[in-house]
Amino acid sequence: MPAYILRKLLLTIPNILGIVIITFILFKVVAPDPARLYAGKQKSEAQLQSIRHEMQIDKPWWVQLWNIIRFKFAPSMRYKESFWSLFARKAPISLAIQLPVFIIELGIQLVLAVYVAARRGRFQDHVITFLAVFSMSVPALSIYLGAQELFAGHWKIFPVAGWDQHFFIAIHFAALPILVSVLGGWGSGTRFYRTIVLEEISSDYVRTAKAKGVGEAEILLTHVMRNIMIPVVTNTVAVLPLLFTGALLLERLFQIPGFGGLLVDAIQQQDQLLLMAIVYVTAIIYCLMLVVTDICYALVDPRVVLQ
Amino acid sequence: MERAERPRSLHRDAWDRLRKSPTTILCLAVAIIYVLVGLSTFSPKFDEKIEKSLSADKTYAPPALWEVAPDGHKQLSPARWFGLDFQGHSVFWGTLYGTRVALLITVITTIMVTVIGTTLGIVSGYFGGWVDDVIVWLFSTISSIPWLLLVIAIAYVVQDANPSLKQFFGGVATVIIALGLTDWVSLCRLIRGEVLKLRDRDFIVAARAIGLGHGRIIFRHILPNTVHIIIITASLGAVGYMQVEVILAFLGLGVTNKPSWGRMIDDARLELLRGHWWELAAATGAIFIICWALNVLGDSLRDALDPRLRGVQ
Repeated sequence: MPAYILRKLLLTIPNILGIVIITFILFKVVAPDPARLYAGKQKSEAQLQSIRHEMQIDKPWWVQLWNIIRFKFAPSMRYKESFWSLFARKAPISLAIQLPVFIIELGIQLVLAVYVAARRGRFQDHVITFLAVFSMSVPALSIYLGAQELFAGHWKIFPVAGWDQHFFIAIHFAALPILVSVLGGWGSGTRFYRTIVLEEISSDYVRTAKAKGVGEAEILLTHVMRNIMIPVVTNTVAVLPLLFTGALLLERLFQIPGFGGLLVDAIQQQDQLLLMAIVYVTAIIYCLMLVVTDICYALVDPRVVLQ
Repeated sequence: MERAERPRSLHRDAWDRLRKSPTTILCLAVAIIYVLVGLSTFSPKFDEKIEKSLSADKTYAPPALWEVAPDGHKQLSPARWFGLDFQGHSVFWGTLYGTRVALLITVITTIMVTVIGTTLGIVSGYFGGWVDDVIVWLFSTISSIPWLLLVIAIAYVVQDANPSLKQFFGGVATVIIALGLTDWVSLCRLIRGEVLKLRDRDFIVAARAIGLGHGRIIFRHILPNTVHIIIITASLGAVGYMQVEVILAFLGLGVTNKPSWGRMIDDARLELLRGHWWELAAATGAIFIICWALNVLGDSLRDALDPRLRGVQ
């Protein structure tokens, strides 16, 4: 097992290098001068130079590359705050929305997938499959806008938007975004897991269990559930870091001061260096989580290590 | 006595399967109608219609079948069917124009993705060696960055670096470049896997043994056996492109000065506060119908073209 982990980690190094190269090409070669974007057209060359100095982009390119590699980013010009302090402040707020969404969504997806797979081809299967395709086909933004208008604007069950430091008031504000997010996101996972459960149900060990007289509920919950953990793990572990980065549209619409909203701000205010930091750090964390996924995969399925 | 059946090709067999399902035929019809509507909006006559439909005296009007002229005369008016937006633009014509934008984005991106993905996938799977290593490194690196984030980053960088792109068809080029440069990855991975399997099959070995060149083996024997992957990926990919267009429009990175479905939904954000729901409904409906059709069609295609999955669904 340690050898397996070490090998996986070593194999990630080229990918991390690739992420560094892509980030550098996108934001240092293709993108325009961030100082000019920040200052506007009126500034003189001397003023631009001092802005560049503040942004730490007046250094030679290899120094800038080295700074990216060791996660050293200049403080954001608009927020007057370093990337890491922004991250520490905003990521927990995103997590407070995304973690409940993730848990509720995964629960709904697994329960529905098993339920529907056990009733393949019947009425319930058709209805739930139809609804799943429905939720996949409507743009998320439309679902968010419609639900916000109905639940908050029209029926006034929830507040329209907002956030608060206090835990209980925050729950009050978070309820609708969580509900809406689940509403828009449950579909594709449900269909994916349904296919997997169906594959398992048609396998030999299930037939053996049936032949021995094991009840349907027990087959589904103990035998099948255990075996579908492999795709579930590969499908979920990798998205865990995305829980920190939050949802772009959701946080902007409901005015949640999270990390996803920060990304939207960075784009709309052309805060290029902040955007670069967000993209780079998220990509690196995601890449490392893919290794963790592989390790979890090996833990759940011992055959993987042997290959 | 059993009679030997004539062997049927995979595509013939797939088409026979698809034809039997009314839902699939319906979805195919919907997709064809969208393409025809999209194509018809390229005519100069349509641009005239859009110009004319602008009613300067009025902003916001709820959907209505008729337009009442000043003299009290009622006239059937398609421009009013979906109402007017905050600038007095007809939502109906805007939605149709959005079909043009969506068609452009989907078709050009799909061509880009197919060309890049298929070429790299076949080259990497067929030749192996260091070429394979480089291509595998490239697509595993790109797929180890969250897709949406990469699309947004490319769209941002491309648009800011080259403001003239905004002029070209109102920012459609930005969307196409961002999607086309990233989405080939999954297709490339699938095709490489398929080619790796095909490479050692008897018919390829035989083709090599009788002295066929690489080009002929690839185009005559390998490419036709990967077409089903391309078709399935393209039909499901289009759904993703339309959904991403909405997100890019929301971020101000997509289509900016032409009515696209994403921009209409984004505009509707402010209109909803005043209770004007029709622009949101029209654009959402347009996206929903085609995405639903493509989702169902993609699944049917996969069932029909990929015999290994048969019996699972």
